[in-house]
Amino acid sequence: MQTDLLCSLIPLFPLIGFAINGLGFRKVPASLVGPISSAAALASFAVSLMLFSGFSGQPVKATLFDWISVGSLHINFSFQIDQLSLLMLLIVTGVGSLIHIYSIGYMKHDEGFGKFMAFLNLFLFFMLLLVTGSNYVIMFIGWEGVGLCSYLLIGFWNKNVNYNNAARKAFVMNRIGDLGFLLGIFLLITTFGSVEYTDIFEQATRFAVGDKMILAITLLLFVGAMGKSAQIPLYTWLPDAMAGPTPVSALIHAATMVTAGIYMIVRSNVLYTLSPVTLEVIGVIAIATAILAASIGLLQNDIKKVLAYSTVSQLGYMFLGLSVAAYSSGMFHVITHAFFKALLFLGAGSVIHAMSDEQDIRNMGGLRKHLPLTFITFLLGTIAIAGIPPFAGFFSKDEILAHVFLHNKALWGLGLVGSAMTSFYMFRLLFLTFFGEFRGTEAQRHHLHESPATMTLPLIVLAVLSVAGGLLNLPGGGWLSHFMEPLFAGSAQVSPEAFGHEIDHSTEYMLMGISTAVAIGSAIAAYVVYISRHAVPAPESAERSGIAKLVYNKYFVDELYEIAIVRPIRALGDALYNFGEFIIDGIVNGVAWIVRAASAQLRLLQSGSIGFYVFAMVFSIAVIVIVRFFVRF
Amino acid sequence: MLSDFGIILLFILAAFAFISLVLFGASFLRPDRPNVEKMSTYESGEEPVGNANVQFNIRFYVVALIFVLFDVELVFLFPWATVFGQKTLINETKGLWGWFSLAEMSIFVLTLALGLAYAWVKGYLSWVKPQQKIPTVDTKVPQSLYDQVNKKYQPKAKASQPASGTV
Amino acid sequence: MLPIILLSVFGIVLLFMGFLKSKVLLLPATLVFILAALATTFMDWGKTYLYFQNMLLTNNLAILFTTIVLLSAFMVVALSNSFIEDEQAQPAEYYALLLFSLVGAIMMISFENLIMLFVGVEILSVAMYVLAGSDKHSPRSNEAALKYFLMGAFATGIMLFGIALLYGATGTFVVSGIKSYVYTNAYGVSLLLYMGIILLLIGMLFKVSAAPFHFWTPDVYDGTPGLFTAFMSTVVKTAGFAALFRVLSVSFVGVYSFWWGTLAALTCLTLLIGNVTAVYQTSFKRMMAYSSISHAGYLLIGLTALGTQTKQALVFYSLAYSLATISAFGVLLVVSRQRQDTNGVNENFDAFNGLARQNPLLGFVMAVSMLSLAGIPLTAGFWGKFMIFTTAADKGIYWILVFAVLMSTVGIYYYFRVIIAMYFREGAAEPVKVAPFYRYVLIAATILTLVLGLAPGLLEGLV
Repeated sequence: MQTDLLCSLIPLFPLIGFAINGLGFRKVPASLVGPISSAAALASFAVSLMLFSGFSGQPVKATLFDWISVGSLHINFSFQIDQLSLLMLLIVTGVGSLIHIYSIGYMKHDEGFGKFMAFLNLFLFFMLLLVTGSNYVIMFIGWEGVGLCSYLLIGFWNKNVNYNNAARKAFVMNRIGDLGFLLGIFLLITTFGSVEYTDIFEQATRFAVGDKMILAITLLLFVGAMGKSAQIPLYTWLPDAMAGPTPVSALIHAATMVTAGIYMIVRSNVLYTLSPVTLEVIGVIAIATAILAASIGLLQNDIKKVLAYSTVSQLGYMFLGLSVAAYSSGMFHVITHAFFKALLFLGAGSVIHAMSDEQDIRNMGGLRKHLPLTFITFLLGTIAIAGIPPFAGFFSKDEILAHVFLHNKALWGLGLVGSAMTSFYMFRLLFLTFFGEFRGTEAQRHHLHESPATMTLPLIVLAVLSVAGGLLNLPGGGWLSHFMEPLFAGSAQVSPEAFGHEIDHSTEYMLMGISTAVAIGSAIAAYVVYISRHAVPAPESAERSGIAKLVYNKYFVDELYEIAIVRPIRALGDALYNFGEFIIDGIVNGVAWIVRAASAQLRLLQSGSIGFYVFAMVFSIAVIVIVRFFVRF
Repeated sequence: MLSDFGIILLFILAAFAFISLVLFGASFLRPDRPNVEKMSTYESGEEPVGNANVQFNIRFYVVALIFVLFDVELVFLFPWATVFGQKTLINETKGLWGWFSLAEMSIFVLTLALGLAYAWVKGYLSWVKPQQKIPTVDTKVPQSLYDQVNKKYQPKAKASQPASGTV
Repeated sequence: MLPIILLSVFGIVLLFMGFLKSKVLLLPATLVFILAALATTFMDWGKTYLYFQNMLLTNNLAILFTTIVLLSAFMVVALSNSFIEDEQAQPAEYYALLLFSLVGAIMMISFENLIMLFVGVEILSVAMYVLAGSDKHSPRSNEAALKYFLMGAFATGIMLFGIALLYGATGTFVVSGIKSYVYTNAYGVSLLLYMGIILLLIGMLFKVSAAPFHFWTPDVYDGTPGLFTAFMSTVVKTAGFAALFRVLSVSFVGVYSFWWGTLAALTCLTLLIGNVTAVYQTSFKRMMAYSSISHAGYLLIGLTALGTQTKQALVFYSLAYSLATISAFGVLLVVSRQRQDTNGVNENFDAFNGLARQNPLLGFVMAVSMLSLAGIPLTAGFWGKFMIFTTAADKGIYWILVFAVLMSTVGIYYYFRVIIAMYFREGAAEPVKVAPFYRYVLIAATILTLVLGLAPGLLEGLV
């Protein structure tokens, strides 16, 4: 089997789709745009499946060409197919294809439909580069590319200034992270003299645990992951990114791009295992993010904002898993989260579609009668994310919490608190949206309808996956952890004590029981508040007291950043600008003036008189000869 | 011992000495009776008119250039002749040498001849005669009347003149 | 040395073709002749031959330089279609003179004996004197020819004196003979040799218009018809640098410490005068004259820092410079002819106003060639400068490097004036027309510039 060919085909299909729809924007008929881009995504998915089915267990590397050669450093443009990239390939192309199909229904009436589908394809291309590249530089190209696409798609409705600001915010925050990533790559090059995964990890196994250089590298790489995967302190862009069309939120800001940070850390697991300090740092940041975001989610009223904070919080859980070296559990949660969060976002999109672009849950209610299919799938997604067995979210979250429990009981307790909040705000969202009385306008009620088949079909597929996703890795050594085991061979070699903690079954059942109890308890609490007592969140203008005000306003983090970072930087920029205006420009213009003046004088040498020319030549010859032969220097 | 340059220097000195001796001696011996004819510049019998520092017709230079070119060619032919005729070389090559050097010189001469031919065809060698400017008068009298008058008073002995608009 | 013989014969053939009634055949015939010469040049590829009793020596370097020269000539001739329309012009003679001057250029590139260098320089120069004055009815053209001739004769005299002194010191005209003299007398070389080197250098520097022997350049470039200016600033310069490189790298490399200081000083002077004076010009053609002086300065850096990289840098730079210069002059020719004002053809910067809108192709060609001359990345000119600067860095002459970089920023100023005029100024509305073949030549030159800018490694390893 020509693996090389297949590897290059995977990113090639979306690129072709992008080329057709992008170059032919406004020329390709709207009825063809959707099928072309979806076909590109599906083709990639098909090829990924072929690779997966033909996978022998040995990593395969396909080198396309030698890209950069500087001195002894050779950077190849090459792909690596192993367990990790295959999993990511299947998620990205699978969920990606579903969301492409969904977008046909969701975006068909938008005038920028062709542009939208082209950007989606471009995103898919970069995302596939990110996950299949065989070295950090290819990963970085993809990393930057998905950042670009994210920027383009958040600001897709670019006539709205707020949306553009949100896009810019996302881009800037990501750039901060990218800087860390880039510095990390530079350190990798100086330390290992290569950027190729296989070379680096092979060499890394010879390092001692706690090496300072590795610490620096892993911290810098984690800064990159922080930006991309929205962890404290770089998380505020993700809720704002909900300005983009809903399929974008589902694909980029829930299922795929934001998990790139987790992918990167799992990919570099050897390095992280070598640096326990970094893992501690990750653990602290992860749990803080998980709890903070979940608590903000409790009081949000925008259907997509709730989901966004939920995403941030779930990403925190994934990092939490990584921080205790439970890499496969982290990946497991990436997979299940991709299923149920994409489902929830698409469901939300279906609701928004039906509600004529209304996103405030205070104006919804009772929608289960009008949108039955959306309701059922949304319900399944909610149960899955809340962690109620036997749905997918239960298994993946429970596995993470079990590993955390072994590692640190306090962290586990905090994780449980977050889990309770998750369950509460998700059911709150569900109840406010689908139960009770309809609270919208008369026009909206008239317009209510179930979404077309292109939108509901992906919902159904994702709902099935959300329900059954747990089968991938049932407790006690499921298929997934077995499949991913070769990836962590290096980690196990450098630090055997970090692995191999087998949890005994009684503890495991106990933990499961506690988690389930907490999740169901929260759900019941939500039921009591929002169904039995018919509570509806207070309107925007209402006075809020103390903690509620703090949480409702997202802990004033954006305001804090504005005062602590944005304003000083802007002031510095103004100061430097003034400095540039008067001093630098003065120097530059002064030099230009001097050159011009000199030119005006030198020009006069050219008198046009041949006598002078010859004289000047003879004079020069005389000077040269005198200086050369008679002056000693 | 004198170096090669020393000998040249001696030659130069000797040349100066000889010329000054001869001129000096001559002025002693000859009678000195100058008149206007004798003091004027020798111009091959022509009487000199005006200043010698005037612009010449450019065609003199073309002719002179071509002349110099062939002069140099002739100078080149003399040393060539000695090589061409070297018995030993001819014998060593069984006569081929002669043909070879003859061919080489023919190419050289022919190239120059080609240049001459080009200049000739282009008309650079032919002297341009001054163009006669025939004066014309704007008149209402038709040409045929003039022709009649001319014909009537045509001198019998001479051949017919061109009758183009001359008044 | 088939190209020399062929070009001489072809030149004579062309002269006689001039007698034909129709002038249509002349241009294609000349192009075919040049291509034939180019083809025969490559017969010696990969080998080193001595010709005519050690008079000429061909190697890969000489072949590459010859290729650049012939390529430049090919493009210049291809851009000369206006002769057909001009009643006064004598295309047969022009083409013949161009071919003869190419003979001189090739002799300068591949000489082994200094006499051949001298003869080559003279053949090239005399032809150029005539071509400079080819516009017989323009006083400026006549002035240019006379100035060029007088000063050229002066410089030739100095060069000949230098060659004579070298002969006096070493007893040989052969380049490699001088080399062995220098090596065998490393500690007691005759003063005559030093004097000879200086005078020979001065003579050659005049030909490549390096300061302070550049005075003829602006006046002559300005007065000469544009087409021959393009020829002059590419072919003559390339051949001149090839000759300088051969004589410096073979004969005088043993006394590098003697001449490099002088050459370095003149390099800086050349860069200064070329770049700074160009800033004030209003005429594009005059600006190109100063620009050619400044490029002579950049090329001189390569010679000053003579090393293993020098020849490759010189070849690449010459090619990049020739391509850009010819396409710039090509655009100028069309534009100036169609934008005539009361003073005849308009060769000032304002002739280019709004060109990018009236003829995007010409605008693009001009923009690329200006960017290449300014040394902006993605063009061949950037890599040319890069390689030249690398030679200086390898040799450790950093001050000259700093100076050259500063001067090239000055260069950006005047090259961008053209681009600004084309893209940001409003100009006459009537479109500028270009003949198809003319267009192809310009496109080819531009593509070559961009290709070399993207893949500079294409020429790597040839020399």
